[in-house]
Amino acid sequence: MHFVKLIIGKFRELIVKCALRMSLLLFLTSILFFACSRNDEAEPYEPTPYIINIPYGFPTNLNIPEDNPMTVEGVELGRYLFYDGRMSGRTHPDSLMSCATCHMQANSFECGVDHPVFTGGFTFGLSGAPTHHVMLPLINLVWNNTGLLWNGKISKDNPDSHYQKLEDLVWMGVVAKHEMSGDTNRTKALIKSIPGYPEMFRKAFGTDEVTMDRISKAVAQFVRTLISSDCKFDKYMRGEYQLTPEELRGFVLFTTEEGADCFHCHGGFGNPLFTTNLFYNNGKDVEFTDPNDRFSITGKPSDKGAYKATTLRNIRFTGPYMHDGRFATLEEVIEFYSHHLQNSPYINPLMHHVANNGVQLTPNEKADLMAFIETLRDETFLTNPAFSRPEKLPGENK
Amino acid sequence: MLSKFSNGCLSGFAKIWLLILFFTACSDKENPPTPGEGKITFNFSHYNNNEPLQYDTMIYINAAGNHYLVNEIQYFISDVKLCRSDGTYQLIDQWKDIHYVDTDLPETHSWHVFDPILPGDYERITFTFGITELKNQSLMFVNPPERDMFWPEVLGGGYHYMKLNGKWLSASGQILPFDFHLGIGQIYAGGVVIIDSITGFIQNYFEVNLPNSSFTISEGDELIFEIRMNVENWFQTPIVYNHDDWGGDIMQNQDAMHIGCVNGKEDVFSFFVMNNKHNN
Repeated sequence: MHFVKLIIGKFRELIVKCALRMSLLLFLTSILFFACSRNDEAEPYEPTPYIINIPYGFPTNLNIPEDNPMTVEGVELGRYLFYDGRMSGRTHPDSLMSCATCHMQANSFECGVDHPVFTGGFTFGLSGAPTHHVMLPLINLVWNNTGLLWNGKISKDNPDSHYQKLEDLVWMGVVAKHEMSGDTNRTKALIKSIPGYPEMFRKAFGTDEVTMDRISKAVAQFVRTLISSDCKFDKYMRGEYQLTPEELRGFVLFTTEEGADCFHCHGGFGNPLFTTNLFYNNGKDVEFTDPNDRFSITGKPSDKGAYKATTLRNIRFTGPYMHDGRFATLEEVIEFYSHHLQNSPYINPLMHHVANNGVQLTPNEKADLMAFIETLRDETFLTNPAFSRPEKLPGENK
Repeated sequence: MLSKFSNGCLSGFAKIWLLILFFTACSDKENPPTPGEGKITFNFSHYNNNEPLQYDTMIYINAAGNHYLVNEIQYFISDVKLCRSDGTYQLIDQWKDIHYVDTDLPETHSWHVFDPILPGDYERITFTFGITELKNQSLMFVNPPERDMFWPEVLGGGYHYMKLNGKWLSASGQILPFDFHLGIGQIYAGGVVIIDSITGFIQNYFEVNLPNSSFTISEGDELIFEIRMNVENWFQTPIVYNHDDWGGDIMQNQDAMHIGCVNGKEDVFSFFVMNNKHNN
């Protein structure tokens, strides 16, 4: 009995301690609440949640960090910053650079081969330094959970917390020699000095403080809205479009092992992202010297010469192709997979057609396959005004 | 209110509320056995010649004499049944009836079964390798990694039962990739492997009777079982599988997939009880 009383006593003691702690917490929270509300009395911080509607057949798991929930105001600020050349921290016309300088909507947020500055699609930064690899498009990244960049360096698996999220690519873009070649202090000071932006930051984040963290978060929010889900093949999946005989033959080739055998890496009906977002050595080479391949991230020998399988959505606009841009046209890519695969100890086992140097498509089959790939062109994405440059950026005269 | 707490004068309602909070806060996230029931966990392991499987190294020789390596294995098991001697069984189907295993993803190597297990003696455990026709529906998995097992619509739809990817030293002396993929087979009119000649599909999923899988579970027990895949047996019993004969891909080759299914049913899987934790 004494033991029972002892237990009850201890239990009461525990409850009293908890109650005291909760009261203290409540008190502190109240102070914080009233302190904040006094500043925001004029216009309270009430961001509108930005809801992503999951298109038919698309994944339901979204890559949205807990510390950067999407809001309408955050996305809008991100859109303005995405297109603002002053993100480079400079104002001279020759030194302006924004995300959109290279990531052009008309080319699926890639620079494409027809860029007026980056001839052939080979990009370089304000310092003149070339990028390690050619670009990847900003498309459907809200579903990329395996890592960003060709080698997947930017990933939640990266032990360095500065290289884990889409947000990190934004500040990296500001400081990288092969991109804006700036520094974050200049960028945030310049953005802060532009009338209109502090107000947008307040709407997006509660106060008008401009930080690189907030800049990165806003741009990342905008990039996560860049969703392609309205190409001909999407409409086919939804029962709104019937593929032509040529497109259908191409689809069959795309999705069969005895055909072009694209689906294991590039998806299909069961994976409308048209990429697994995984990394493969696809038989381009027999020697591997690139210090930035997937092997550089994982250290697994089987990852030598491996790179991310790119999405085939809008692939027509995102040349040049492969990590090093060795192919200028899609036709060259199909030719490579058809006849020029190279075997090596590191080629991915899914590339079993290497036994015959490739999938050996006939000219008619190549045309059919191309017709199917063209069904992945998403004009809605390429012209969506919500993704486009704002009519007027803060501080602009025109 | 605080003084009431201090004086130990909690109301009856408050006491009950706090007790509920206390117990829910302390509940085991692992979902422990509820009174009158037990729990089980399946661990999945992969062996070759009685040793843990080594990946990406050409150290294995199959019954046909092919030197080969394994890069990765991905597969589904479903409809696990705990069978009693009187012919009744308990189907594992609460919250989840299909489990995905990926040798590259350690988190898939254990399945903590949600279903409470009724105490008693069980004669054997069976499961479906792959997914039955009824359940194997396209787009039921929209998220990776299960999503990436999709089996193309024109080949029957649904999902691969298994991808076993590797390489072998071919008769020509080249090291070539093989994709030993099992799923729905196709019947091609006249044996001409073009989509237009498909006249029907063959459901290749099969039931595995795990050998020596009898067990007894009592109230409060938390048993851990190992389901072991013996990779060499995919290629040797009862039918010898020669990679030189079947080549790198078999998704459109029902004869090759049939061998895989016959061998898979035979002795690819074995069973072990890892613990026998009695909590009573």
